[in-house]
Amino acid sequence: MIRMTIGIVCKEALMGRITEYYHATSLEDAFAKAQQLRPAAAYVGGGVELILRRNPEITTLIDLSRCGLDYITASREGIEIGSQTTLTTVSRNADIKKYAGGSLAWWTGRIAQNNLRDMITVGGVIGRNQPWNDVVPHLVALGAQVRLFDGAERIMPLAGYIEAKQPGVIIKGILLPAGNAGSSGFLWRFTRTLQDISTLHFSALVSSDGKFMTAANLVFAGRPGHAALYPRLSEGLVGKSLSHETFARVAEMAPDVVEVGSDLRATGEFRRELVRAAILNLEEHMTGVAQ
Amino acid sequence: MTISITVNAVERSFDVQPDEVLLDVLRREGYLEVKGSCHSGDCGACTVLLDRRPVASCLTLAAKADGHAVTTVRGIGDQAHLHVLQDAFVKNGAVQCGYCAPGAITSAKALLDENPDPTEEEIRLAMDSNYCRCTGYEQQVEAVLYAAAQLRKGDKR
Repeated sequence: MIRMTIGIVCKEALMGRITEYYHATSLEDAFAKAQQLRPAAAYVGGGVELILRRNPEITTLIDLSRCGLDYITASREGIEIGSQTTLTTVSRNADIKKYAGGSLAWWTGRIAQNNLRDMITVGGVIGRNQPWNDVVPHLVALGAQVRLFDGAERIMPLAGYIEAKQPGVIIKGILLPAGNAGSSGFLWRFTRTLQDISTLHFSALVSSDGKFMTAANLVFAGRPGHAALYPRLSEGLVGKSLSHETFARVAEMAPDVVEVGSDLRATGEFRRELVRAAILNLEEHMTGVAQ
Repeated sequence: MTISITVNAVERSFDVQPDEVLLDVLRREGYLEVKGSCHSGDCGACTVLLDRRPVASCLTLAAKADGHAVTTVRGIGDQAHLHVLQDAFVKNGAVQCGYCAPGAITSAKALLDENPDPTEEEIRLAMDSNYCRCTGYEQQVEAVLYAAAQLRKGDKR
């Protein structure tokens, strides 16, 4: 009994204690509540990460599910996905299935697992942006922008939002620009199984006229930490022919450009080899020829 | 705080802690057919339907379920009135120790409600959250294929 009591006390001390769960009725309501309580308040996306990795400073959870953020709309500007939209809903949307070859729809229907894909929200994955996150690197590669609310709405590139995270700001949604709809999206995860956490993520968006590549976004994540664009590698593809020589040159250069770091799961040397393999997988995706 | 959830078509009110998960609330309130195991969203044993979609109740904040409908495996069918899926699991040897069965059947129910004629691949994808250490999964897939065929023939159980 004593042991059990000590265990509960220690657990609460380590995990913190949520004392309030607040169902916000509007973005204004949610933002005002967060401002009043910060830094002791957190917005709830799917809630998965909040439970798995509790922050002892957080005492209030602000639920955004009644703020009208569960939507997907298509317009001339592109596709907008509300931040409370689950991965399953994204994976089933007809417009997203057609966008950039359907890569986002395909992956959001397969990563994690079925009973989590129905919980995990787009806003949640962006807001938490854990290094092992699969969706964010791909959204960055797709050129996504994020619509934020901090009393007023504003839009900024997702890549920029990740670099300069802004606590307290509500993620209202993300926009996939119409200009990228005809490009080819690609995500490569190095894992043993679909459910496994990736050792390295690589994502790309490449436009081509069938012979030459006209635009490219290349993103690595997992290690180093968060999703980052690598414009130097993109330059190695843009204006070049869709040939093995082009990709081989970039694959040769990439391990020196991407900062892979090293940790207990895999060495830096191994990760550099994965970087090279990622580029060769992109070649196969773009040319249909495996190396 | 007090939340209202429709559990297996019955409206219920529960007093919950703001950070309590749905699994703990359901089991405390007597829904022992919802099984806890990993408590980290990995194994799928605790899967319930939230508004007809499968979720890991061990990672679902109970407060987030306020105002929504939850279906446990007992809401799909009970011992006196087995659902076709439950009957198929028994007939196809898809239940051994039985611990994963409530979650597996619940995931399968969500699939068949949306897709009455799933392929084997679609079944495996829809049940990728449900670990089973006894059956090796083959019998579960066969059970869902069998149940889907029975339902298409008009078996309404």
